[in-house]
Amino acid sequence: MAKERFFFLPYKLIKPQASHILSQPKSSTGFRNMLYRTNAKSLFVTAAIVSWSLLLANVLLAAESMRQEGAVKLSIPYINNLLIVVFILSVFAYQRQSADNLKGIDFISYLWNLFAKAGIAAYLSVALFLGYRMVVNYTDVDSPLLLHMVYQVNFGLLVLFLAKAFYIWRQLLLYHKNRFLQIAWDWYELLLFATLLLTLLNFNYTSYIFLPLLVLIGCYTLFLCTNLKWVAYLTFNKKGRSLVLLSAILLGCYIFANFFYGFADSPQLVIDYADVAFLLLAMLFVCTYTLAAFLVALFSLPTSSVFEQKSEDLLNFQRLSQSIQQGQSEKQVYDMLFDSTIKASDASAAWFEKMKKEDVEITHMLTIEQEQVERIRHLLLAYNIQNIDYINNNLDRNPGFRDLTLPWKSLIILPIKSKKHLFGVLYLLKDIEQGFDRETVNVLRTFTNQTILTIENLRLVSESLQNERYKEELKIASVVQDSLIPKTFPSDSWFEIATHSRAAKEVGGDFYDFLQLSESRIAIIIGDVSGKGISAAFHMAQMKGIFHGLMQQDMPPSEFMKQANSALSRCLEKTSFITSALYIIDYRMKGFMFARAGHCHTLYYNSMMDDTFYFQTDGLGLGIIRDKSYNNHVREMYYDYNPTDVMVIYTDGIVEARSPTNEEYSEERLRYMLTQTYHLEAEDIKCAIINDLEEFTGSTDNLYDDQTLLVIKFKATTQPNE
Amino acid sequence: MKITHEIKDTTIIITLDGELDASSSVILDEELSDPEIMTYSKILVDCKNLNYISSAGLGVFISHLQRFEDAQIKLIFYNMQDKVRNVFEILGLDLLMTIVSDYEEAMTIADE
Repeated sequence: MAKERFFFLPYKLIKPQASHILSQPKSSTGFRNMLYRTNAKSLFVTAAIVSWSLLLANVLLAAESMRQEGAVKLSIPYINNLLIVVFILSVFAYQRQSADNLKGIDFISYLWNLFAKAGIAAYLSVALFLGYRMVVNYTDVDSPLLLHMVYQVNFGLLVLFLAKAFYIWRQLLLYHKNRFLQIAWDWYELLLFATLLLTLLNFNYTSYIFLPLLVLIGCYTLFLCTNLKWVAYLTFNKKGRSLVLLSAILLGCYIFANFFYGFADSPQLVIDYADVAFLLLAMLFVCTYTLAAFLVALFSLPTSSVFEQKSEDLLNFQRLSQSIQQGQSEKQVYDMLFDSTIKASDASAAWFEKMKKEDVEITHMLTIEQEQVERIRHLLLAYNIQNIDYINNNLDRNPGFRDLTLPWKSLIILPIKSKKHLFGVLYLLKDIEQGFDRETVNVLRTFTNQTILTIENLRLVSESLQNERYKEELKIASVVQDSLIPKTFPSDSWFEIATHSRAAKEVGGDFYDFLQLSESRIAIIIGDVSGKGISAAFHMAQMKGIFHGLMQQDMPPSEFMKQANSALSRCLEKTSFITSALYIIDYRMKGFMFARAGHCHTLYYNSMMDDTFYFQTDGLGLGIIRDKSYNNHVREMYYDYNPTDVMVIYTDGIVEARSPTNEEYSEERLRYMLTQTYHLEAEDIKCAIINDLEEFTGSTDNLYDDQTLLVIKFKATTQPNE
Repeated sequence: MKITHEIKDTTIIITLDGELDASSSVILDEELSDPEIMTYSKILVDCKNLNYISSAGLGVFISHLQRFEDAQIKLIFYNMQDKVRNVFEILGLDLLMTIVSDYEEAMTIADE
């Protein structure tokens, strides 16, 4: 009894887990299916109990009648056979229902399950038989009824054992199955159950007719027993445990086989279960499969460490490659690399150096002293072995290493570097010669390659995040700059103005602005800061400030340029300059005054002369000469305008725009456009020029330079104040 | 953009080939920032194959202009294409810098 208790205890412990596996309904099958299964199960249990009880009664009756010789034989073999078949079928069907799909690769728990539920039956049966023997020996009474009882109970236990073992082995046998195996198994199961017909019809299976058939089924069994893929997934420890369990199950098989073989053809019994072919075949299958599993597990014990190593390597690769999705840091990746490579190579000492700009930082160390690391590094430096792949499988042969008196005999250096960057260097040491064979080195290289990929990807991800942030900042800058450029000009009856501006990048260096000086005078400025992008945008904002600041004092354009040059001289970068043109239009005087500081010539259409021309005036760009001598380089001009005259102000982005064949738009083409369109309204002239420009450059999203265009048309309408 | 230089006695001839844009102007700036360039008395810039000059390229010449003037080093451009010359003129640089038609003229001016 003590023995049983010992075995029951662990069974109780694992029971919750086992029942969890068995009874957990799949979400898709749902409640109804579960109900059906519960119903079917209880039906099978009832059928099994009833058939077994009836069988027992029948057998006892037959035994009784056999004892009282001469009495009428009441038992009919056919009824017995029917009951046997019903019992076997219901027990097997119950176990078939109970069996669930394999979950995970926790095979040991299946073996436990098998042992706890089926193996115990065998021991129970042996205990029962021993008990019977003891009773018979002590009391010296030969009781056929008691023997029949014991025999019958053992039959029940045998069927339970076989059914449980049969279906648990089925699960394991079909692990990693393919279609062929599934079909083969289904046929096998069918064939096996078909042999029950032999019992039902009371054929003797040992007759020559059925023998070849049974031999065939035996071969079939042997073939199926070669499917033992699950054994490979057991680790060394688990294999050891499974060997114990398997031998216990084998012992169970032996007990049952021995028991029923002992009673085969016994004159004491009215019934002989050894005659049931199905039981024999099921026993054959369970025994063979258990034995096969036992032998395979036993003989694969020495190689299991290799398999374990490989599967661990695989797992580590997976972890490395998944570390990006899991948002891990570089440090965690290096931790993983360090641990994985040490495990993969079975290194006895190691260290990892991480590059930090110019510096080298030792971030990981395993069973090695800082001082030893320094000594090795000095030696490697002397040999000029740095940050390169290097393997030395016999350090003692090298005088330099021998002098260091290190406890290690093999060294491998694995730099973690991409084409551009050196991320770090990994050093592995082993205390044996030839410690790093080709196979190991390959695995290590794969690890380092994966690490490089992972680190690069991690950096790319963070870089793209950074870029995303910069883009956002630029968008804001773009919006701010856009707000610096006036959208609407004062609409007046004496002139109309149309504007166009487009930056090559998010922010640009072109600008224009206006300031109403008095009721009849307006100042219009256009400018272009050298260069493009952020720096140009800053200078452009500065220029706008200078324009508004200086023009509050209402000064002539040439004076403005002088003062602006002086102001910009103090704040403009050395290589930067600004070109600008300032126009002060006085509609009461019907004229405008302007000065040009290196800016593009103003295009003009004179309606009186019906002529289109550029104003050719001198003027040096702002910030080119940064002292008083600039004052000699700026000219002022006054011009009387006529109604319907057109003035076109632009930046070099317009005339220097390129066609796909790399030709420039040119001042000539711009002038030609004005001769064709001067009669239109300002807005239409602008649109015509821009359309022509876009046609010329082709549909390119990337502008070469910022483009700004202002079209001013003086009108002939009534003068309100005159 | 290809920038080459050739030395003749106290004259350095810088040949610009291609388009002087924002990126190539950095190379030109390095060339002109070389302290050794101050040991010459004349700097001749051959613009025969200069097809385009951006504002950044002009900025480089402008930024060194004062320094050369102070050291009395003559900066002379020659063989300039009309298109490029127009850019210099619009900006008003033709009045600050010496732009001549060919090499001979450049050498005679330089020798004055």
